[in-house]
Amino acid sequence: MASDLELSDFLKSVEKRAFKRTVFAVRDDDAALDIVQDAMIRLAEKYADRPPGELPLIFQRILSNATMDWFRRQKVRNAAVRNFSDFESADPEQEFDLLETLGAVEGSMASESASDAVARAQILHLIEAEVAELPARQREAFLLRYWEELDVAETAAVMGCSEGSVKTHCSRAVHALAKALQAKGIAP
Amino acid sequence: MNPTTTLRHSADPEAAQALFARRVVVHLNEGAAQVQPDVAERLRFAREQALARARAQRSVAAMTVEPVGGGVSALRWGGNGRNSSPLWVKIGSVMPLIVLVCGLLLIRHWHAQAEIDAAAEIDAALLADDLPPSAYSDPGFSEFLKSPRD
Repeated sequence: MASDLELSDFLKSVEKRAFKRTVFAVRDDDAALDIVQDAMIRLAEKYADRPPGELPLIFQRILSNATMDWFRRQKVRNAAVRNFSDFESADPEQEFDLLETLGAVEGSMASESASDAVARAQILHLIEAEVAELPARQREAFLLRYWEELDVAETAAVMGCSEGSVKTHCSRAVHALAKALQAKGIAP
Repeated sequence: MNPTTTLRHSADPEAAQALFARRVVVHLNEGAAQVQPDVAERLRFAREQALARARAQRSVAAMTVEPVGGGVSALRWGGNGRNSSPLWVKIGSVMPLIVLVCGLLLIRHWHAQAEIDAAAEIDAALLADDLPPSAYSDPGFSEFLKSPRD
């Protein structure tokens, strides 16, 4: 059973990422805060007796469900249908090479350390904007897999899809991000 | 060695993806750390609300056990209930029902006994009377009883 301190530490460690992840999905700070609070309370009320190691996966699942509930309540069916059916890339260029992109931005990375705070903030803003522009399932898979550091099986469990789908979503998300950032001359 | 250089020649696309994702995640972490103060405050408030709910849930769970322990203590004629076992808890919970059923059976038995006693008293009075019991089945005697006395 997670103690009060363990639960507090867990929530503290995850709350800001949860907020940003939800903002990417709902594009509304107030709604995102409500959703995160709702997810925290659901976790505390129903799963506080679980071992601390189980909390991250449970919380991510609750947060995903709370976000879905918000979409249902808002009746944004068009957005939901568009996002959830977007398994296929609209980009016909299948031969896009991520490794080439990584190589192409290598030079600009060398000078990144010299960039000032304003430039860094601008880059951060652009990267966040590109992440927000990803299709919902790709973004969710990317953030759960790489930001929340869940493994493929855990990500699949949270998203309610197969592990293969998770890999596909992650791959497409990474390629879409790389291409979009490269087009803007940004080296992440 | 620069990992990008290494991965440029790597044949593992998943490793390249992970490398790129890690770079993006560094920026996302930076962005998450720079949330507005009011947002951070609301998140702190939400966290405290959640923790308060968790404490309330724990106290409710503890209170649902306590009264049963107290009941068992009462059944133990003043025992402190610290050694209460699930068996005693079960016995303590069904004891009122057993007492109720026993009480109902006793009341039923008492009523039946009272009816038997009343019937026996009537029979004894009839047999001890000067008038024979067969007289009560005689229609003329019934009419005699119904007729007004002078």
